[in-house]
Amino acid sequence: MKRPLLNLKSYATALFAIGLMTACSSDDNTVTPDQEEQEEEQEEEASRWITVAGAKMGENPGDGNGGTLIYSVSSEDAKDPTVQIDPFNNGFVAPSNRTARLQASEDGNTIFNISYAGDTGGNYTKYIVEGEGKFTPTGSEISIAPYVGTAPRWIKLFDGDKTGAAVYVSTEHQVDDNDTPKDVTDDNYLYTNSTIGVVTLDLVDSQINNFQEHVITLSEEESAAGYYISRIDMPVLNAAGDKLYIGARVSKVDPATVESDTDYEVLGAKTIVLDYPSLLNPTIISSSIGRGNTNGYRSINAFLYDGSVYQANQSDPEGSHILKIGSNNQYDDSYDFNLDDALGVEGAYVLAWRPAANGKAVLAYRHDGSAEGISGRGESFFALVDLNAKTATTINDIPYEVDFELFQYQGYAVDGNEIYLTQAPVGKNGNIYVIDTETGTVTKGAELVNAEGSHFIGAW
Amino acid sequence: MKNIFAAFFLLVVFSAQCQEASSTISGIVTDAYGRPLSFASIILENLKLGVLTDDNGAYSIHQVPKGNHKLKVSYIGYGTNSKLIEVNEKNTNLKIDFALKESVENLDEVTVNGKTKKTSLETKGFAVNSVETKEAGLRSIQTNELLNTTVGVKIRQNGGLGSNVKYSLNGLSGRSVSIFIDGIPISIYGSSFSLNSIPPSMIKNIEVYKGVVPGHLSSDAVGGAINIVLHEGAKNNLNASVSYGSFNTIQTSLNGAYRFDKSGFTIKASAFHNYSDNDYKISGRTIVDIAPNGIETPIVARRFYDAYRSTGGMAQVGFTNVEWTDQFLVGVTASDEYKQVQHGTFVTKLPYKGRFLESDAILGNLTFKKKNLFIKGLDLNINGVYGKRNRIINDTVAQAYSWTGKRRIRFDGEYLDYIWDSQNENGPTLAKITRNVSSIRSGLSYTINDNHKILLNHVYSGVDREDSDEMISLLENTFHQTSDLYKNIISLSYELQAFESKFKLNAFGKHYIQKVLNTQPVFNDDNTQVIDEVYQSDKDYTGYGFAASYAILPSITFLTSAEKAIRLPSEKEVFGDAGDNLLPNLTIQPETSNNVNLGIRLGKFNLNKHGFTLTSNFFARNIENRIGLPTNADGLRESDEFVQYTNLENTAESKGIEGEFHYTYNNNLGFNFNITRMSLTTVNSGVETNVPNVPLFTMNAGLRYTFKNFIQEKSRLNLFYNTYYTDEFSYKFAQGKNTTGEEEFLVPEQLSHDFGLSYTFPKEDFVLSFDVKNIFDQAIYDNLSVQKPGRAFYLKLNYTINNL
Repeated sequence: MKRPLLNLKSYATALFAIGLMTACSSDDNTVTPDQEEQEEEQEEEASRWITVAGAKMGENPGDGNGGTLIYSVSSEDAKDPTVQIDPFNNGFVAPSNRTARLQASEDGNTIFNISYAGDTGGNYTKYIVEGEGKFTPTGSEISIAPYVGTAPRWIKLFDGDKTGAAVYVSTEHQVDDNDTPKDVTDDNYLYTNSTIGVVTLDLVDSQINNFQEHVITLSEEESAAGYYISRIDMPVLNAAGDKLYIGARVSKVDPATVESDTDYEVLGAKTIVLDYPSLLNPTIISSSIGRGNTNGYRSINAFLYDGSVYQANQSDPEGSHILKIGSNNQYDDSYDFNLDDALGVEGAYVLAWRPAANGKAVLAYRHDGSAEGISGRGESFFALVDLNAKTATTINDIPYEVDFELFQYQGYAVDGNEIYLTQAPVGKNGNIYVIDTETGTVTKGAELVNAEGSHFIGAW
Repeated sequence: MKNIFAAFFLLVVFSAQCQEASSTISGIVTDAYGRPLSFASIILENLKLGVLTDDNGAYSIHQVPKGNHKLKVSYIGYGTNSKLIEVNEKNTNLKIDFALKESVENLDEVTVNGKTKKTSLETKGFAVNSVETKEAGLRSIQTNELLNTTVGVKIRQNGGLGSNVKYSLNGLSGRSVSIFIDGIPISIYGSSFSLNSIPPSMIKNIEVYKGVVPGHLSSDAVGGAINIVLHEGAKNNLNASVSYGSFNTIQTSLNGAYRFDKSGFTIKASAFHNYSDNDYKISGRTIVDIAPNGIETPIVARRFYDAYRSTGGMAQVGFTNVEWTDQFLVGVTASDEYKQVQHGTFVTKLPYKGRFLESDAILGNLTFKKKNLFIKGLDLNINGVYGKRNRIINDTVAQAYSWTGKRRIRFDGEYLDYIWDSQNENGPTLAKITRNVSSIRSGLSYTINDNHKILLNHVYSGVDREDSDEMISLLENTFHQTSDLYKNIISLSYELQAFESKFKLNAFGKHYIQKVLNTQPVFNDDNTQVIDEVYQSDKDYTGYGFAASYAILPSITFLTSAEKAIRLPSEKEVFGDAGDNLLPNLTIQPETSNNVNLGIRLGKFNLNKHGFTLTSNFFARNIENRIGLPTNADGLRESDEFVQYTNLENTAESKGIEGEFHYTYNNNLGFNFNITRMSLTTVNSGVETNVPNVPLFTMNAGLRYTFKNFIQEKSRLNLFYNTYYTDEFSYKFAQGKNTTGEEEFLVPEQLSHDFGLSYTFPKEDFVLSFDVKNIFDQAIYDNLSVQKPGRAFYLKLNYTINNL
């Protein structure tokens, strides 16, 4: 808290430079509009903060339940393989009882966190990145818990770091007892309601913009068969900025017993569409290309590119797809990008992905053939993806091994066409890698010092 | 190691058996009411030969030479008595009984090596503390507060009177610690009859066994056991007390007993009623008023939905101290409890208003005790409880409240209702849990002679549990599986006294049998009927241990004990829970812990009017096969997949030292101090780290001063001062050496002070007491940084009639 005014100022200035790279290190805090234009040309040399997060082991290797630690270095240092980064010993402990879900401003100067569960659950805090383990809280702490609970799922919208959106869902099974409340044999399951709550959050002024709740039921046929939306996550804005898409997971109960079903036909992937910013008029859209869930896990699952939203799906019996939602706010079923086909594997599962502004993306995946490592999960790989060409190629310049897995992977730092990622097998040292998405060049960066059973969950 | 121990064991056994007797004097020492006095001292004055009476008040002196002797008997708190006897060829087996009268006046003069019940228990070898409740029973002190001042014991309580309590023994808590009432697992009685509700005046004493639990208290606890011994109450008396204090707290209790001298017919009854608003003030980072737009203002809030009420009682009739039985009582225990819930496990920014718990229990009980059954030395006691318990969790209010106590406003100006339709985020519930419970504890002991005793104990406990929830459909309720749990624990113990009672040994083995019965309702083939699919699992395990003590000098005793302790997996851990996405794990192993205690007891030393006792204990615990959820549990559940409990690879280790010091001067001044310093570590991220949420360093000190004849002749004024210290501890795993941001998870260092006084009126029938707790109104915390009450005042009046 040495220079709070100056830092706030630099943060505010940074907001003007949406989509641009600003030259903001702790040594260079003042940015004038003139400089911004120069930077566009000079972005190769511009420095920014790269924040790396590690997830510490709780009870077992790779569970990440021991807490989240963050540490930041300059992008030069991040690219320097002689630099060592040890967040487990020198990092900042993100205040969350379970794994924190972190977001960073596009320039990397601010980290946003909403803590998940525990006594601080639902608290939104903003930190100024000052290098190493120094993250200075800024702005007032606010709580979204009254609206969406102490374990909200949230994501930053791509509107220039202005808005965050947090979602919540609760479900209720509806049963008709045929007016014989004591006789179970004539009871009929009707359908399951999902009540969704959506909060939008002003990240700049730290306050809540809007909150709405809706009751959502799937189509008559689907809901009568026991299908319902059991989890929602990963809100994303459309190109026009007038609709908010929210990813959904569909689960199913056995209508005979209202117990969870495990073996059933997976429906086409679904997304909830709301008016924005009013958050009213919910509709559900459905893909006929991909099946399964669109709510992702911990990493952003859907991105806006070239006027359309591209969304990954998971738990698809045919393997993950990248799905496209067109500017008409419907799934574009003419866009068929199957990762099994593109990667030549069976049962591809997208763990975390991120496109750069050029439509080329880095994507972490595992597949049915992945060997199971120390954490009990399959070996993961990175691929370079081209959304236009619908191609995906495994990046072979990154070393893989059986204990390397990315189930909890959360973040890629995007700097122009370059994407920073962390690579370290569970409990072993690794490195930052920088992928030039345009050329496919892989640069080995700073060494990541690991702790036993722990793993790295991304760069911001 | 085992062989050395065995050799040593045999040596002791043989040496004990070599003591043959020719002429023997034996008998029983009782009090004026015929109750046996143990540890009374019997001395043949001219020979300087003496023994102590055993648990049954019996004594025997062997190899007494012919001639005239003076046999003198004395006991702390009683008068002395002596008889002249003659030993000759005809009288080789003399039987002489004594009955001693109580004499309070004589207390200072008795200097024989008699032991109080407390001392006797604490020198048997176990790491055990006997908590006396006599003094506390007269004050406004709750049983839990009393336990909290005991060395090595830490009470983890979420708030004020009636809030959820966890007991930590040397750092191990939760399912690791078993609590008993007269040897019956307290869990049988349910939450309405707990240490929260039982007033100290109903309790005779509390035994706290750390790490090593004797065979007669059979339990599957790896951390230790707490046994509450209630008053036997064969004495005719009546005791009533009422206390009122801060936060509208009222605590009343009544208990009495009457025995008809001729028939031995005995009636015992006790009742209690407790109520508190618990509306104390709290503050801190989560005590904020949140504006509709999310902006927070820190406030000092008064807890507004935390009231607690408990009512209960116990009545027993039967016969005591008659020829065919020492105690035969049948009775009923009933209790009822209501508790408002102000917040969840953590104090979050979302206080509850409208979530409450109700529980009640009605249980029949039976007690049978007989010493010297059929043959001398064979003692039998049986304790049984059978009954029904209900618990209701009521949470159907969707209205959101702020810590100001007012309803929350949405940013559109309307009142906010929680989207999850209830106070707790898990959704509305009217869950009712009905349990049929039974527990029988039986113990058979045979005293072969003064040196050898064998005990066989068995505890059975069974719980049939049925869950339902009015908020969910019958269809969902019907297809919920049920799990029943039956436990049998058999233990065999051997007690030995050798080298003139200087050496004491208690070795025991325990056999655990667990049966878990799982019932899954399904439709029959044509969906016309619901039938049960039953699955059961039977498991058995064995554990063992010992406790030994050796008194080098009467005032220097070495104690050691060790146990391979076992905690059986719970029904959820074995059978899973479909509603919680938990799969059964039928091969799961119990948690085991190797527990070792090593202690020394010095005292009581008497120097003029000064008295000292010093005890110290080192302890070590090593817990293996810890039961927990596996690595990918969170992720799998997140994607609706199933997980199961497994035995974790990493062990947890606890090591520590505790010390206790007592000082008395002239029976007026008493001072005690205790300290516990320990480590409790497990391997986290490959690094040995402290287990979170466990205070590792605590100290307590207490001072008492008695004024005799204060204001009135024969009255007594006692002044008390207590202070408690808890070191800073973290409720999350420490992350690394150089990390920042850890202070978020620290519970700060705490020091609090209590003051109390009690005034005993000359006739000793009325005692008036006044207590101030947390005098300096400091912020004190407990479990997961839940704040506890600030300064509070209590006034209590006790009325006792003895010898009705």
